[in-house]
Amino acid sequence: MSQQFKAANPEEIVLHMLDMMSLVFHRPSGLTHIVADPIPAILEVMQQEVSTPAQIAEALENNFDLEEGVDVENVVLARLDEMNALGLVERISE
Amino acid sequence: MGQAYITNLRVGPATFRIASDWQKPIAQLNSLYENYPKPDSEFADFTVRLESQSVWRKYFRPTVHISGDFWLPDAAPLPLSQGLLAAEMAMNLQMALGWRRHLLLHASTVEKDGKALLMTGLSGSGKSTLSAMLGEKGWRFMGDEFALICPQTGLAYSFPRLISLKNEAITTMERIMPEDRFGPLLEDTPKGRIRHLVPSLESLEASNVPAKPAMLIFPRFGYDKAVREIGKSEIFVRLTQASTNYVALGEAGFRALTSFVDNVPARAIDYQSGDEAEILIDQLWAELA
Repeated sequence: MSQQFKAANPEEIVLHMLDMMSLVFHRPSGLTHIVADPIPAILEVMQQEVSTPAQIAEALENNFDLEEGVDVENVVLARLDEMNALGLVERISE
Repeated sequence: MGQAYITNLRVGPATFRIASDWQKPIAQLNSLYENYPKPDSEFADFTVRLESQSVWRKYFRPTVHISGDFWLPDAAPLPLSQGLLAAEMAMNLQMALGWRRHLLLHASTVEKDGKALLMTGLSGSGKSTLSAMLGEKGWRFMGDEFALICPQTGLAYSFPRLISLKNEAITTMERIMPEDRFGPLLEDTPKGRIRHLVPSLESLEASNVPAKPAMLIFPRFGYDKAVREIGKSEIFVRLTQASTNYVALGEAGFRALTSFVDNVPARAIDYQSGDEAEILIDQLWAELA
């Protein structure tokens, strides 16, 4: 059973790149999150589609140079769990 | 319950109504703030009250309780001899907790050619002393405690309160400044010896003139001379820690601070003396500002 996620409405977040880190201002909570790769990339490839970690991993591999031998899907799932806790993505129940 | 002694003060854009059970702190404030621009109206942004614990304690070993629009429940009372310090601490507290018109950065600021140099760091970093020193050496002193950043324009506004010199910094400034610029020496305060210094007349007269932030310094006193670059994310984190109202301002604060971090070059400097810091700052200013 594959989990599905949807990114927060783009109007709810302001993404600001700094250097190796980026900032995400989350309008509903008023909180500022400091995030590292691949979180900005995940938000970019998810857009507004409901996606599984496997679909996001594939999109990342197609769009970015990723390190060889990394279990991208598992890394994506771990980040999605964290992003879900912050309100940056929403887990869609099946 | 009204207090017997009252004065209205203006520091930069902020106005304060100070009410006291005792005459002395008000007289000291009126003397030290004599050359400051006067408030435009009797309606102040903030009220500060210096109160006795009881009618009896107003006279017997009097201690000053601070209260006002904003206050901290655990603020310890000070002896009446430190009433001036109590007033200054209370005014700072009102700004830190209550000001919403600007993004407040806990930083000292000086200006040259319409451009502002901000210095931020922990207590003891020397930011206050450096601003006081530079304020006598061709820079306009804008503040030793808070830099006020306008969320709309990004400009820095002045908050030239009395400069709070502590411990060794008192002797350093007494060597170069005339006696009539100083307040009374306050011994045994929670921060050691404190003596207030009145900013220059030029600084007070220009206190409504903003400046474009052009350089940010993180000074550190007592280490071998060094200059370091700092990444933007570290600058951002340090400035959120240095801001008393970043969270309260919400998205306006986020946009003001990200714009500041993107546009203002920053360096960390270590120094052993005021002269060494001045040389470093002049070099960096010529290179970056």
